[in-house]
Amino acid sequence: MKIETLFIDKAVGRNDETEYLISRLKIDPQWVEDSKPVYNFINDTNDPISKAKRTLYITLNKGTIIKACPGTSCYTCCDYTILQSGTFCTMDCSYCILQAYFHPPVLQYFAGLKSLGHDLDKTFCQNKIFRIGTGEYTDSLIWEKVSLLPKFLVETFARQNNCVLELKTKTVNIESLLPLDHNGKTILAWSLNTPDIINSEERGTASLGARLKAAKQAESKGYKLAFHFDPIVIYPGCEIHYKQVIQQIFEMIHPQNIVWISIGTFRFMPKLKQIIEKRFQHSTICYGEFILGLDNKMRYFKPLRINIYKEIISCIKEYAPKVLVYFCMEDEEVWKKCMGFFPEKEGELGHMLNKSAAAHCNLNPSLL
Amino acid sequence: MFDTFCEIRLLDIDLSDERYKISLSKDDITFLALSIKEAGLINPPIVRPLNKKFIIISGFNRVRALIYNKASKIVVYQTKKDESDYQCLLTSIAALSFKRPLTHSELIVSTKKLYEFIDKNEIAKKSSAIFNTKLNPQFVETLLSIGALPDPILELLDNGNLSFNSAKRICAFEKETVNIFLIVFSKVKASNSIQLEIIQHFLEICARDAINPIDFFNSKEIQEFLFNETKDPGIRTHQLRTWLYKHRFPTLFKTRQMVQEKIAAINFGNAIKFLSPQNFEGQDYSISFTAKTYDEFKANTHHLTTALENKSLKEIFDR
Repeated sequence: MKIETLFIDKAVGRNDETEYLISRLKIDPQWVEDSKPVYNFINDTNDPISKAKRTLYITLNKGTIIKACPGTSCYTCCDYTILQSGTFCTMDCSYCILQAYFHPPVLQYFAGLKSLGHDLDKTFCQNKIFRIGTGEYTDSLIWEKVSLLPKFLVETFARQNNCVLELKTKTVNIESLLPLDHNGKTILAWSLNTPDIINSEERGTASLGARLKAAKQAESKGYKLAFHFDPIVIYPGCEIHYKQVIQQIFEMIHPQNIVWISIGTFRFMPKLKQIIEKRFQHSTICYGEFILGLDNKMRYFKPLRINIYKEIISCIKEYAPKVLVYFCMEDEEVWKKCMGFFPEKEGELGHMLNKSAAAHCNLNPSLL
Repeated sequence: MFDTFCEIRLLDIDLSDERYKISLSKDDITFLALSIKEAGLINPPIVRPLNKKFIIISGFNRVRALIYNKASKIVVYQTKKDESDYQCLLTSIAALSFKRPLTHSELIVSTKKLYEFIDKNEIAKKSSAIFNTKLNPQFVETLLSIGALPDPILELLDNGNLSFNSAKRICAFEKETVNIFLIVFSKVKASNSIQLEIIQHFLEICARDAINPIDFFNSKEIQEFLFNETKDPGIRTHQLRTWLYKHRFPTLFKTRQMVQEKIAAINFGNAIKFLSPQNFEGQDYSISFTAKTYDEFKANTHHLTTALENKSLKEIFDR
């Protein structure tokens, strides 16, 4: 969606970063003392979520910029680190949890490259491997065409050896990143789904073909890649469709350049259902066989999850036996039945991923 | 408001004119008739003179009771001849609402009638004075929406076959779908939560399988459940609910059934409870028994030891 209204927090001030954003967005900003006018503006409609997607608020991140992913109780977490560069998204996926996560959702861009650089330096000094991503509360590359941030991040990460940056996206906004000297420390990652799901549930995102084409382009510039099948949606014929997507990946990408592939079936906070029913009236995504999971999120009935996971994993392994495939938020039974093992010890899954990152991205192996 | 307090002939009351009647209930007036005989008419009805007759504003049951008592005259409050329709309506509602809280169907009828004179915000604004309770504009709108649904909506609400929440839910549907649920709930008897579950599962199956709700409603099974007059509404509800659940969650239903059959096949005995994990999401099965005596304890452990040899037990865990 196109940005129609721009608010800028006065505390951000005029600097190269904001001037660049304003010039690229081509909108006269409204300078505000705090977020209140932004919230009022967004809430003054029947559909604050849609309005929020067209309203950008540039502000400072007043909280912790780099923090551990909270994960979820009772399911195995990958010990990811989140770099919070913004919130919400301009694309409009029916299943997006951000619609229900923020009250109301506000499309925020956190300015302040200097302080971000300072925080990153502190992380780079630690004797530990970090997998850091910006795609938890937003898409990593929605601002690539209007912001200096992606370039800044890629170049900053290129100068160290203990952290890897993962930019996760459903866009094809990689043009400004292609010529950069990334030193292998940035993984460009795409969330993938079947064309049916992309067409019906992922409004405003790039097509599957376009995403894979962009991935191939990134690979040609030496970027390491990752793919995320999340959310996997179960529908009649989905097994064949997901296998076709996997086939397409490996027709275009060399397995050795894939750092990891994550898989996770659709899960949602119960209150998201009402939002989907209201905003996406033709969507049937919530009408699968969902049960209340141990973390109070709705999840597909476990045998159904296991069934689709087995199909997808065996297909990936046919093309790329060595690629690291992992579950995002699954339990011991699912791991054992689908993968034949379970990363039981605390941090074990994280360690597996760190090893893959170290091997693919030339991180300091002594930190493993 | 009232011009006179007088006695009129019951024959002069036009009973067919129920424009101010807001209560649908057909109360048994036998006791009221007896009470009037013993204690007299404590509160006279309110009537309005119209076309040489009188129409009732408040006191429909009292008038009926007096007719039942074969009385020929009745003491009434009579409004002024030129009293407005709106004022008479206010009187009819307030006379009841300040005696007892109105039922949902009475609120709906009253709001619908008031809406002919004032808008929803005005109704909300005056609600304390009219209804003896504060109603917000959104609630008034809901009442109006439910009031716009076809018959027998009010009857279903009144007899408890349809909860207010279910009525509110079906308001948003298309006319044909509304009619389907009015038929469904005239045939089954369920609690509020089960009504909502029936609505939800019915519509989600239709949406998921891209079936027109009318075609789904006309399916052989649903028709058999609903229109089998030999079964009482409770059994019809159970059958419909189970069938809808089975279709909404086929794999979960099948798994549950399979595990239940296997548990039954193990024959643990009556004292032992064997429970599978909730929705099979967790992995922990639980087993428990109570024993008052050593012999009971021994019998239960014997059942458990025997169960170890039963292949059904292993199959449950290897599921």
